[in-house]
Amino acid sequence: MVPSPTRVAALQGLGVPTDRLDRLSAALRLPPRRPGSPAGEEFGASVLLLVGDDAAVEAPEFWRRPYGAWIEIAGLSDDQIVEAARRAAHADLFACVTTVSANRLHLAGRILNGLAALHPMPEAQRDDMELALHEAISNAVVHGNLQVEGMKGLSVEALERFSHDLAARMADPAFADRRIEVAAWLESAAAVVEVADEGTGFARPERIDYGASGRGLDLIAAIAEELQLLDGGRRIRMRFPL
Amino acid sequence: MDYGIEDKEQETLVRLRGRLTFNDHAKLRALIREMLQNKAKRQVLDLSTLEFVDSAGIGMLLIAREEMANADKQLVLRSAAGQVKRVLTVAQLNKIVTIED
Repeated sequence: MVPSPTRVAALQGLGVPTDRLDRLSAALRLPPRRPGSPAGEEFGASVLLLVGDDAAVEAPEFWRRPYGAWIEIAGLSDDQIVEAARRAAHADLFACVTTVSANRLHLAGRILNGLAALHPMPEAQRDDMELALHEAISNAVVHGNLQVEGMKGLSVEALERFSHDLAARMADPAFADRRIEVAAWLESAAAVVEVADEGTGFARPERIDYGASGRGLDLIAAIAEELQLLDGGRRIRMRFPL
Repeated sequence: MDYGIEDKEQETLVRLRGRLTFNDHAKLRALIREMLQNKAKRQVLDLSTLEFVDSAGIGMLLIAREEMANADKQLVLRSAAGQVKRVLTVAQLNKIVTIED
């Protein structure tokens, strides 16, 4: 049986000016959620959180039901937010955040908490899925958006080069403000999770010369039932049996 | 990730705590430097309080193993549990590094 969808039915702002929230609420035809108003939560629908305060959203309370979609609005126009919210409407869980936020929030763990709340699973399975999602998000962050090459060879020099490049790109808004988008949904007996970045794309090499890097995709392949690279490698889709 | 170092008679014991991911590159560089400087041949990483490791963390452990080998030292991974133990197994690290329970 296909689980009933838990799609967005209301909107809430966190550090978003009231006039902008009202404008977006009208554009999205989503009622604002006020304290005390359940806004459809009683039948399982979820709340889209528009995040204008990237420090406040670290609190765990914003990652539990009824919240099911998160869009960090920094640098986005109203039109871009509306487009992101339309994509969110197709998923049970959806997050669109900057590269820096995806990394700082430990996004994989938070999304997995959300999935486990929708579909309880054994701890070992949850751990495996968190690792696969963490690897996919790390690839999107490091190699996708920040365009930092992996550690070649097994030396401290390779580690230092990686260290240096990563710190430099993380501090450069041209790279660090690029978006990471995670969408997850339940199908019958499976969870599908996608991670998209705004990098230059990626083709899976036929042979990998393992240095200290290069194991992430293999780990994902070992855990997921199916793994697809889409949009020229800017989007990875993973299917996990449930 | 945080770590604490304890010098014992036969070995140096390093206890890792928290999460070991690609974000810990600077910590790992510092740790490798400290392990190279102390005298013990056996450098034991106690992973019992490590909660999470990713593929980059595995990669950095392999760099540590290589650097120890170059300095005629041995790296041992000890007491991995939960997610960490699982990742070491999936990545087949036992083929490359000494792993103890």
